[in-house]
Amino acid sequence: MIRNLLRYPSARAAIVILAVVAMLAAFGPSLAPHDPLAQDSSALLQGPSAAYWLGTDALGRDVFSRLLAGSTVSVLASLLSVSIGMLLGVVPGLLSVFLGKRFEWVSLRLIDALMMLPFLVFAIAMTAMLGNGLTQAMFAVGILITPAFFRVSRAAALSVANAEYIEAARLMGASTASTIRHHVVSKVLPAVAVSAASMTGACLSIVASLTFLGIGVVPPDPTWGGLLATDLSALYDRPFGPIAPALLIVATVWALNALADAMRDAGTQEQRA
Amino acid sequence: MIRNLLKQWTVILAAALAVAGCSGSGGDAKGNARVRWAYMLPTSWDPVTSRTGADINPVSIAYASLTRLDKQGNVQPALAKSWAYSSDGKTLTFELRDGLKFTDGTPLDASAVKAFFERGKTQKDSFLRAEIESIASFTADGPRRVVFHLARPDYQLPYVMAGRVGAIASPTAAAKDPAKLALWPVGAGPFKMVEFVPESHAYFVKNPDYWDAANIHIQRLELTTLSDPSTLIASLMSGAIDVAPIAPKRVEEARARGLQVTTAPSLISSDLMINRNKTPFNDPRVAEAVRYAIDRNELVRTLTAGLGTPSNQPFPPHYFAFDPETEDRWGYDPARAKALLAQAGYAPGSLTVEIVINPISNEGLPELLQAQLARVGIKSKLRLIPPGSSSWQSEVYIAKRPAIAVDGTVGRESPIQNLLAVYGPQGIMNLSGPYSAPAFLKAIDEVRATPIDDPHYAERLHRATRLGVEQGPSVWLFSTPIVIASRSRVKNLNIVPSQLRWEGVTVE
Repeated sequence: MIRNLLRYPSARAAIVILAVVAMLAAFGPSLAPHDPLAQDSSALLQGPSAAYWLGTDALGRDVFSRLLAGSTVSVLASLLSVSIGMLLGVVPGLLSVFLGKRFEWVSLRLIDALMMLPFLVFAIAMTAMLGNGLTQAMFAVGILITPAFFRVSRAAALSVANAEYIEAARLMGASTASTIRHHVVSKVLPAVAVSAASMTGACLSIVASLTFLGIGVVPPDPTWGGLLATDLSALYDRPFGPIAPALLIVATVWALNALADAMRDAGTQEQRA
Repeated sequence: MIRNLLKQWTVILAAALAVAGCSGSGGDAKGNARVRWAYMLPTSWDPVTSRTGADINPVSIAYASLTRLDKQGNVQPALAKSWAYSSDGKTLTFELRDGLKFTDGTPLDASAVKAFFERGKTQKDSFLRAEIESIASFTADGPRRVVFHLARPDYQLPYVMAGRVGAIASPTAAAKDPAKLALWPVGAGPFKMVEFVPESHAYFVKNPDYWDAANIHIQRLELTTLSDPSTLIASLMSGAIDVAPIAPKRVEEARARGLQVTTAPSLISSDLMINRNKTPFNDPRVAEAVRYAIDRNELVRTLTAGLGTPSNQPFPPHYFAFDPETEDRWGYDPARAKALLAQAGYAPGSLTVEIVINPISNEGLPELLQAQLARVGIKSKLRLIPPGSSSWQSEVYIAKRPAIAVDGTVGRESPIQNLLAVYGPQGIMNLSGPYSAPAFLKAIDEVRATPIDDPHYAERLHRATRLGVEQGPSVWLFSTPIVIASRSRVKNLNIVPSQLRWEGVTVE
């Protein structure tokens, strides 16, 4: 699949971008030329210079350093939400196919109920209840993306549930858990991987939206969304300010979506082959 | 699902842009003057249950008070055309104007005023009780004469009556359903409510029966909640709103965008509320260390575009309650702060505090304070109270849970009312409540018992301010003027201390 994937130019570009983002997430804080929290009241709202590559914000903090330092939180928060969504969505999605009608009916109704909840309002309510932290907000987002993983894994499992090799495994006395583990998971994983890539992009946007609204990350910790909000509030003094964080968000979300599309297309080609 | 969500957002954004684009900036088709004002909605539309000082701005749209302040902060007649104290200062008599009535048609007479204050004394959820505790009883002496029988002389009451305490609500509406008054005001103010959506907006039309209706030139007033500070100026430019308070540091931007900017002296002051009932501030040396740790000049330079004034007390220098002796007590002295912390047993970096902040706190102030505390070795984490109109009030003002919180005051009509709000036993901004220093309370009583024109009044008032600041742990930071940005069609903004009023405001 990876060889097929690399045939797509968009996938190659996406992988390069994501590699850079992964590097920023892993080493961003240590690459920052200045302390991202250090304030300099003699250098407020400065433009780009040799000392401050992307200028300074309203408190005299180096924007470039904050952008680098904010990468870790922004990326990890998205991955945390996707992990929660996968955990809560994929397992019940598979079980809903193999554990009988009653479990299927209950799980489908629960998923329907989750789909009705509005993203931002639910996340705001969760932080109001559990405290305003990134983990709480991301937990809320993880719950809300559960239906996507549930439906994808259920659809993939349904397509193989009546296959002859599954029936044969059952006739030979394999348990449901064993059947799922050995014969279903491998068929479902590619579809889940595509969803995970596209959901990570969506979660990155949601993290940016939430932190833009002041939910999840508390100042002075930098995040991409938080930087965008700060830069927008100083638009008059630094009109170019929002460009860097916005570009980083857009490029990462695009790369994740492009990678998901390419993975889907590569998977389809493999199946045809 | 995500795609659907994005589609929904796109549709909502397009609709919002269309509405913003369609909204004109002038009056309606009949030429009636309409003003859209971005401010905050009150904690309650009933003056008896309203909780914060800033509530007076929305509350005074629908209610008229017994008295009102002029631009210098002096008391002027309003619903009451005159008032007089007895020679022993224990009886205060207000004479009401003729022909007053509430917007529900109920006459606003002496019995209505008496009923309002009695409700303030007896209603279970009243927030007026502490404000009128010096009044023992009320009598209606004829249809237009209300007599306050005082437990002790209190010469501050005419000032107090210029705010929400004296904003008289209809006794008919209160008798019918007092809970409904919190959502739908029935007063005798300049405007009458016609639409209210909680957390969103309140619309009003001119009340022709208002006693000063001749000075109201606005036919329709639309109050909407303040949007994000970064979008306020754009909202003003687009005509989505006509008038809004802005942060001092946005003055230059507002002017550059062609907006009209009005600045006026105000009682707005920012502070770091400290709770002496919580560790580590139960050791007065720690609270004292914080006072010396704050570089107020840096705060003013960074946050107020030069319009603010560093301050060690809840009053700005131009106000008559400002105490010059207090002002130089706590200069920026990080060495002394560190020494005090060491005396209290805290080595540099060994003390961590949680600073509670408001979603609408002065932009950048919490981070600056955090950095300044770090310089003397106090580590801190910021905790943001989630957005919502009542969460700050319930968590901070009522439950008093934080050990330290960033806050501020817009002031009160009476300096004593202001001092009690920040240092009094029931003061909502006294995070250490119900603690209040006995010497301070004694000084407050002395001021109350002193007529305003007494030669000792100023000296006693300054002493009360000094004792409040010395014996209360909160740290005052800076004061700023009120800054209002408006579209050029709105003229003659009427700003009095602690209030934006609508008498005399005209619309082209």
